[in-house]
Amino acid sequence: MVMSIEVNGKLLETDKEGYLTDLSQWEPAVAEVMARIDKQELTPEHWEGINFLREFYDEFAMAPAVRILTRAIGKKLGREKGNARYLYNLFPYGPGKQACRYAGLPKPSGCM
Amino acid sequence: MKFVIQVNEGPYQHQTTDSAYQFTRAALARGHDVLRVFFYHDGVNNGTRLTSPPQDDRDVVGRWSALAAEHGLDLVICVAAAHRRGILDESEMKRLDKDAHNLAPGFRISGLGQLIEGVVLADRLVVFGD
Amino acid sequence: MRIKKCLYVNRRAPYGTSYALEAIDAVLIGSAFDQDISLLFIDDGLFQLKRDQDTTDLEIKNHSPAYRAFEMYDVEKFYVSEEAMAARGLKKRDLVIDVEVLSDSRIKDLMDEHDVIFSF
Repeated sequence: MVMSIEVNGKLLETDKEGYLTDLSQWEPAVAEVMARIDKQELTPEHWEGINFLREFYDEFAMAPAVRILTRAIGKKLGREKGNARYLYNLFPYGPGKQACRYAGLPKPSGCM
Repeated sequence: MKFVIQVNEGPYQHQTTDSAYQFTRAALARGHDVLRVFFYHDGVNNGTRLTSPPQDDRDVVGRWSALAAEHGLDLVICVAAAHRRGILDESEMKRLDKDAHNLAPGFRISGLGQLIEGVVLADRLVVFGD
Repeated sequence: MRIKKCLYVNRRAPYGTSYALEAIDAVLIGSAFDQDISLLFIDDGLFQLKRDQDTTDLEIKNHSPAYRAFEMYDVEKFYVSEEAMAARGLKKRDLVIDVEVLSDSRIKDLMDEHDVIFSF
C-alpha cells in the first residue's frame, strides 16, 4: 500500500508507516505535515532533535542510537533534558521511529 | 561446552551452511549445549521454507527445521539482514505491507542483540562464513 | 551483563560484498550491550577505512563515514595489519580514522587476548 502526504502542493510518497519513500524529497515542511497528521505540535525542542538527526546522518551516513541523541539533546538543551524520558515525552511514538520519520531518515531496521 | 553458532552464507552456493549444520548436530550429539544459531548476511536465506531442492540433493532448510524440532534449538534470523533479502514471517509481512511470508518452521526473526547476548552467555562463538 | 573482549575482524573490501556494511551494525549492537570492543582490519578489509571513497557510480551508499562515529559509541580501538597496509601501498594518513598498526605476530597476540572473535 503506497500512501502519500501533501507538502507545499506536492504529493510525496510514503510507506504504510508514513516514512518518505524518496528521502531526497525531505524539507522542513515535511516534518510539519507529518506532525500535523499525528496531531503533534512541533516545538523548537522537537526541531533540536530533528536537526541533530539530520546533521548526524549527513556526517556519518547512519542514524544515531537513541542514547547518542539523548546525550546531544542534553548538551544542547541542558542536562535535565538529556534523558530518555524527556525524549519519549517529546516523541511519544519513540524517538528512533517518530523523530527519524519527521527528519526524513531511513526507517530504523528494528535491530536497536 | 556452550556454543553459539553464526552462519554467514546462504544454502547451496556455499558449503558453509552444511558445515554449520554438521557441527551443530555433532555438538548436540556429544552432549554440548548450542544456545543459539544466528543467521546473518546471506545466512538468513537458510530460513526460507520455499526452497525446493531435487530429491537427490540434501534439504538444507528442512534439516535445520528438523534439528530445531528435535533439540529445541533456537534458530534466529537477523531482522535487518532479512528485510534486505526478503525473509519474512507473518507479522513482518503485515508490518512491511508485503503480500507473502516465507519463514521456515523452527526459525524466528529477531535483532542482532540476540547474537551479542548469545556470545556473552556462551563459552565459544563459532562463525561459519566464506 | 558480563562484559567480554570482542574483536571484530574485517577482511573484505567495502562494497564487493555486504560484509563490511553489516559488520557496522554488529559493532554498534555490541556497543549497545556495553561490550569491550576492538576492530581489526586485515587483507582487503583495509580498504573499508580508505579516505575519500566515492560510491556514486556504484549506486551503493558510502558507509565509510560511520567509522568516524564509532568513538561516540565508545568504540575506539582500531587495529590494522602492517603487512596488509604495505601490500596495498596504504599509509595511516590514507585512512578515515586513527589506527594502531600491528605486525602479523602482534595480531596473533591480539586474537589470543580476546574472548570472542567475530569474523566478517
